[in-house]
Amino acid sequence: MNKTLMLSALVSLSFAAAQKTVTLPWSGAITGPTSDAGASYAAGVEDYCKYANAQKMLPGITLNCVTRDDQYNNANTQRNFEDFVANLNAPVFLGYATGGALQLKSVIQETKIPTLTASYHIGIIDAPDNTYTFLPVSSYSENIVALLEYIAKKERGAKVALIVNPSPFGRDPVVDARKAATRLGLKITDVQEVGGNNLDNTALLKRLESQGAKYIINQNTAGPVANILKDAKRLNLLGKMQFMGAHYTGGEDLTKLAGDAAKDFIWATSYYLYDEGTQPGIILAKKIGAQFKRGADTIRSVHYTSGMLASAIAIEAMKRAGANPDAAGVYKGLISMNGSKSFNPGFAVGPVTFSAKDHIGAESLRLLQANATGNFKPITGAQRSALFQLVHPVK
Amino acid sequence: MPASRFTQTGNYRTKYQQDQTIFATYSEQISLIVLIGLLLLLPLILPKTMLRDVNMIMIYSVAVIGLNITTGYTGLINIGQAAFMGVGAYATALAATRLNLPFFLAIPIGGLAGALVGTFVGLPSLRLKYLYLAVATLAFQIIFEWGVGHTPLLAQGGAISLPQVQVFGVKATFFNHNFVWYYLILPVLVVMGLLWRNVLRTKHGRSLIAVRDNDRAAAAMGINPGTAKIMAFMIGSFYAGIAGGLFAYFQKAVVIEDYGLHISIQLLAMAIVGGLGSLPGSFLGPLFIVVLDRVVGGTSNWIGSQNLFPAGVDAATALRPLSFGLAIVLFLMFEPRGLANWWRLSRLYFKKWPYKF
Repeated sequence: MNKTLMLSALVSLSFAAAQKTVTLPWSGAITGPTSDAGASYAAGVEDYCKYANAQKMLPGITLNCVTRDDQYNNANTQRNFEDFVANLNAPVFLGYATGGALQLKSVIQETKIPTLTASYHIGIIDAPDNTYTFLPVSSYSENIVALLEYIAKKERGAKVALIVNPSPFGRDPVVDARKAATRLGLKITDVQEVGGNNLDNTALLKRLESQGAKYIINQNTAGPVANILKDAKRLNLLGKMQFMGAHYTGGEDLTKLAGDAAKDFIWATSYYLYDEGTQPGIILAKKIGAQFKRGADTIRSVHYTSGMLASAIAIEAMKRAGANPDAAGVYKGLISMNGSKSFNPGFAVGPVTFSAKDHIGAESLRLLQANATGNFKPITGAQRSALFQLVHPVK
Repeated sequence: MPASRFTQTGNYRTKYQQDQTIFATYSEQISLIVLIGLLLLLPLILPKTMLRDVNMIMIYSVAVIGLNITTGYTGLINIGQAAFMGVGAYATALAATRLNLPFFLAIPIGGLAGALVGTFVGLPSLRLKYLYLAVATLAFQIIFEWGVGHTPLLAQGGAISLPQVQVFGVKATFFNHNFVWYYLILPVLVVMGLLWRNVLRTKHGRSLIAVRDNDRAAAAMGINPGTAKIMAFMIGSFYAGIAGGLFAYFQKAVVIEDYGLHISIQLLAMAIVGGLGSLPGSFLGPLFIVVLDRVVGGTSNWIGSQNLFPAGVDAATALRPLSFGLAIVLFLMFEPRGLANWWRLSRLYFKKWPYKF
């Protein structure tokens, strides 16, 4: 009896010793500014990571799933990055905020740690220091150029106004939007900056109305956009102006805050939504969410799906790196995702493709429009912006 | 009875010159040397992530000394100290990347840029006082953020990466970054602290305190309050500029988010909690706030993971501003002289030990 016990203990120990632990870390805003998106994103990263462990996706490897709150503070992001890389030997880093990612670029280049961020700011993958930085999906700039293409198809010569967040996150796409508008024959009448404290937008909207702007493109988070939409409704401008926005403006976050004022809002995003229950990625997200007992609001959020995509890409890259997934292996795994080896976990509307030069994963995006019940329905198929690469060549 | 040069249990000073010494006794000198000696050994025992926090505390201390000069010693409310830090950070970044200057020249340039801008921003203090001056400095904070955000030279608030530094053949890499910078920031902090103690014992330093206490009385004594106020802004912003330059290198890149209004408020909180108009308070305030931040961060995570509150109630996010606000209110109500007073009382206790306090 004792011998049997000892033998089984030895077998268990040797099995445990054979299992290697690799850290999959994420640092972002679980609390603090933008935590409404960040908390769901973190849940998506963590749940998919745990699911990968349960499914034994990486033979011989147990993932140490670490999601750490940085309170949207760049210094905390750096602190977390240092801990993950220096102490936990993480071969990959999943980031969150624009500022934190931009600040880390030179460190990422130095440490050669492949990094995927929740910010789709094109500057993150622009030169210099861009060898190891990747965007999981199309950039904000591409979202906005795609919206401009849609407007040009509907109404050539239309007047367009941009409302952007007063930060690098908001301002960055403006240059590309101006270039694209010129090529498309559209007129950008105004670029206004609006932050999270926009409790009354009457002056802003009256100004845009007086300029004759018919299409208003937002590059912001859902909160400020919801306030603008509610004011537009109060001023009876919703029929006269078509409001639109890039990835972080839309989804259920917007419809919950803006209510029926969000009706007809056009949103550009690369992700499938919760209501598209027949999509394999959404079926999986629902299954994993239920398995880890997440609340309905979390599972419904597009940010939950986004977190899962980032996690899935990192894990797939580790898988391709083989038995010893170090940073170099993960990088090779990432840039091997192209052609027949592209990766399609089903969370985004197109496959994830990377190469040494292509650092945008799922480049396809769709435009969706909110209906009266607050659900976004696609008004285009999955597509790439034809113009984007011309106005913003790979740097 | 002559005063002992080793210990003093009371005030035995008989000349003004004795009042002006930096160190009243040898024991003060020795304790500072021992403290610096211990601080030099600190990186050998602290974990890397904690060393990063210590570096942050030291950088914030430099900025808080500067804030104390304008607000604590001169009584001019300044809600734009982070913007002055930002001026120093961007000037340092430009000096390092455009002029290719080494860090030991780029950082002082940041300080000088801060001082220059601070002098200009201080001009309204000739006419404005109290809340009105606070609003003027707040306006500068807003103008700074807007200005950086719309200046292509400054990457519109995006990142300007700084080159790695090399000191005596040792290059600051990712793995020794905190270690190298600890030994660069610590001497700067010590020098800046001693510099202020020196300035404070000159007529210029004392004129700031005189203007704070009563500017009309100061004017009657021959002090020009206007010059004193401008000088306070200039020196305070110089300190902020140096802190900004250090922070730029320490963070490896300058981004506008690091110099926003919330950082100005945080610096003000550090100065209040530490004790306005106190040099030890300028070290204790940042220490308290950074430690509080870590504790609250951990508690927030725990609250968030426990699902104690219904959906839609983000208590974890609320905890941080609540704790900071509460700390400031409690200090203002119950210990307006800040942690520096506790430091003073504990020193006094040991000074008279073993006799009853």
